[in-house]
Amino acid sequence: MTLWLPFVALGVLATLAGALLRVWRGPERADRMMGAQLVGTGGVAVLVLLAPVQGWAALDVALTLALLAALAAVGFVKASSPDGAGDPEEDEPPTTDPRSASEKADG
Amino acid sequence: MTLAFNAALCALILAAALATILGRGIFRSIMFFIVYGLLMAVAWVRLDVVDVALAEAAIGAGLTGVLFLAAFGRLVREGAEAEPPRRINPPAAVACVGLTAALTWAWFSLPIPERPGPQLAEALPRAGVENPVTAVLLNFRAWDTLLESIVLLAALIGLWMLTREDDWRNRLGLPQHVRPGGVMSGFGRVLPPVGLLVGVYLAYVGADRPGGAFQGGTVLAAVGLVAAMTGLVRPPRISAPGWRAVLVAGPLVFLVAGLAGALLGTNFLTLPAPVAGGAIFVIEVALLLSVAVTLTFLVLGPPEGENRR
Repeated sequence: MTLWLPFVALGVLATLAGALLRVWRGPERADRMMGAQLVGTGGVAVLVLLAPVQGWAALDVALTLALLAALAAVGFVKASSPDGAGDPEEDEPPTTDPRSASEKADG
Repeated sequence: MTLAFNAALCALILAAALATILGRGIFRSIMFFIVYGLLMAVAWVRLDVVDVALAEAAIGAGLTGVLFLAAFGRLVREGAEAEPPRRINPPAAVACVGLTAALTWAWFSLPIPERPGPQLAEALPRAGVENPVTAVLLNFRAWDTLLESIVLLAALIGLWMLTREDDWRNRLGLPQHVRPGGVMSGFGRVLPPVGLLVGVYLAYVGADRPGGAFQGGTVLAAVGLVAAMTGLVRPPRISAPGWRAVLVAGPLVFLVAGLAGALLGTNFLTLPAPVAGGAIFVIEVALLLSVAVTLTFLVLGPPEGENRR
C-alpha cells in the first residue's frame, strides 16, 4: 500500500505547478494569494502522503504548515484593508482615509 | 520513483526562487517567497531533517510572510508600492556571483557528515534528552542557543527604539477592528485553541523527537498574532512590566542554569548529567514563552496609528 504513496505525492506535487502559474499570472492580488494558499494545502497533502514512508514526524510539519498558512491569509486580509487593521466585512470602517486617521491621532 | 519526486520538488523550488527575484511587482515576490518557504519545508522533510522543516514551516512560510504582507500594506497606504525601474548594479552582481561560487565550492569540498556523529552518539546518554538536536542546542552547544535567544530580544529592543516619544506607554501595533460575529472574528476563536495545543505539543516533544522551544514558540506567536489581529485580545502596552518579564525570562533562566552549572563543578553552560533532563525542561519552558512573546511583539511592531493618543 505504501508503495503507491510516493506516486500519489508526485501527482499532487505536479498540480502545484498549476498553482505556481496562478501566483505568477495573478492578475489580482487575491488570485496570487489563493495560489499561494493552494501551494500550502498541496504541501500539507504531500507531507501527509510522505509520512508513512518518511517517518511520522512529517505529520508535525504538516500540522504546522496548515496553521501558519491560515495566519498568512489573515495577514493578507488585514494588509488589504484601508488602514491596515480592518476587516472587509465591516459595514463602515471607522476610518476609511488613512490620512484623516493620522491627523486625528496627531491632534 | 523517489528520483522523479525529488526532481519535481527541486524544479518547483527553483521556479519559486527564480520567480521571487526575477518577477516584477513586490506583491508577486512576496507571494513567491511564501511559496518558496512552503516548498522548502517539504524538501527538509524529504532530507529527513524534520527539526529544520518545522522551523522553516513556522518562520519561513508563516511569520516572515505576514511581516512582508504588513510591510506591503503600509507601502500601498503610503502610495509607494510602485517598483523602482530595474537597473543592474555591476559591483553587487559580481559580489553575489562570487559569494555563490564560494559557497558552491565550500559545499562540494565539505566531507559528508555522519548522522549523528560518533562523538555525539557517545555523549547522548549524558545529555538528559533523546533528541540529538535538542541535546546539541540546549546542552552541548548551549552557548549558541543562549546568544540566539538574546539576539531575538535585541531585535525587539531595536524595533522599540523606533517608537516615538509620545507613543511610549501605548498599546503595541495598529488598533485592530473587525465586524463582531463576522468571519474574521469567528476565525480568531477557532484557530487559537488548536494553535496553543500544537505549539505546546511541539515544545514538549522536542526532548525526544523533532520539535523544540523555537518551533513551538513560533506557533504560539502565530496564535498571539491571530488573536490580536482578529480583535480577540488587545495587544498589551509597551510599558507593561509583566510582559517585559516574560521577554527576558528565557535568556535569564538560561544564564542562571549556566551559572549554576559553573558553581556545581562543571563548566559554564554545561549541565551536570544527573539533573540535565530537568534543567533542559525548565529552560525549554522559559525559552518557549520568551520566543513566543518576542516574535509576537516583533510582528505587531511599535505602537502606532490611533493607538497613539
